Amino acid sequence: MILHVLPSLATADGGGYQTPTTADFYQPLWNDGPFAVTRPGVVLMLSVGLIAWYLIATTRKAAIVPGKGQWLTEGIYGFIRNGVARDIIGTKDFLRFVPLLFSLFVLILVNNLFGVIPPVQYPTMSRIGIPIALTLVVYVVYHYIGIKRVGLFAYFKNLVPGGLPGWIFLPILFLEIITFFITRPLTLALRLFGNMFAGHLLLLVFITGGEYLLLHSAGPFMKLAGVGAFVMAFVLTIFELLIEFLQAWVFTLLAATYIAGSLADEH
Amino acid sequence: MSEPEQLPTPPTGPPDPDAGHPRMEEAYMWNAVAYLISGPVLFGGIGWALDQWLGTRFFIPAGIVGGMALSLYLVWFRYGTQQ
Repeated sequence: MILHVLPSLATADGGGYQTPTTADFYQPLWNDGPFAVTRPGVVLMLSVGLIAWYLIATTRKAAIVPGKGQWLTEGIYGFIRNGVARDIIGTKDFLRFVPLLFSLFVLILVNNLFGVIPPVQYPTMSRIGIPIALTLVVYVVYHYIGIKRVGLFAYFKNLVPGGLPGWIFLPILFLEIITFFITRPLTLALRLFGNMFAGHLLLLVFITGGEYLLLHSAGPFMKLAGVGAFVMAFVLTIFELLIEFLQAWVFTLLAATYIAGSLADEH
Repeated sequence: MSEPEQLPTPPTGPPDPDAGHPRMEEAYMWNAVAYLISGPVLFGGIGWALDQWLGTRFFIPAGIVGGMALSLYLVWFRYGTQQ
């Protein structure tokens, strides 16, 4: 995994620059087909191990005056617990959803940051299956608590906000059903996937392109352009760090709003 | 003896434990995207099906535009009005 040579790097025999494609994201390490052990799979397992180790290590001997590790863990936990769960779901019900939201946030954040952290440098969420799996968890949770609270019929009836003129009820009901059952999970998964995929592809283009211009092209202008490409790659890496954090936060925030909507009297 | 001037309660302080969900409305804005996609897709799809069935061509644009209008209305109704 660490020594994985990018397949898009230009070949030494002058084959020309190969732009990175979507195929570069499929990287089986062992076996192939549906049971392949792929790079994102390994990165995901690595992230789970790392998170578990870090959270246990920094909270096992929790002190009143926290050390650096405990301070960071408590900071992230407090940010999700108070800033997302409590402020959105509300003081009455939020506590039982904090574990879910905190796990989602930390898992997505670490996997996103792996996109730029060497030697991993692979954003797991750029494989659509993983955001879909996370979305399914949120999907089941918010529909389950909504239906459990008021029953199936009232759940559908409550989708439409009160106070609308009567004739518009049916089209709005269709619109709400499509939104709640299809568009919401779709946008939730696609937003995370698209941001990570596009960001990583962009970095790939600038880094492999810069490498090609600098080492495999003729002429000082091309080499200068290669330096420019590396500068852009650096700037975009910083930008990507921001996006990675932001997307983990947005995913958690939206999961919290869906849960809050299912708990509210009207959605 | 003059009454000490009553100071207004400062806006900051320890958070009220029963504050409800102060940021729910603000966070709901993120949901608007889902509505704006649903409307054109749903009613554009219905329009497409009607066009296939009746052999016409105007139900798709009508559905997309009408769906968009309905989505905008719903977003406005949900988040733009005080209920």
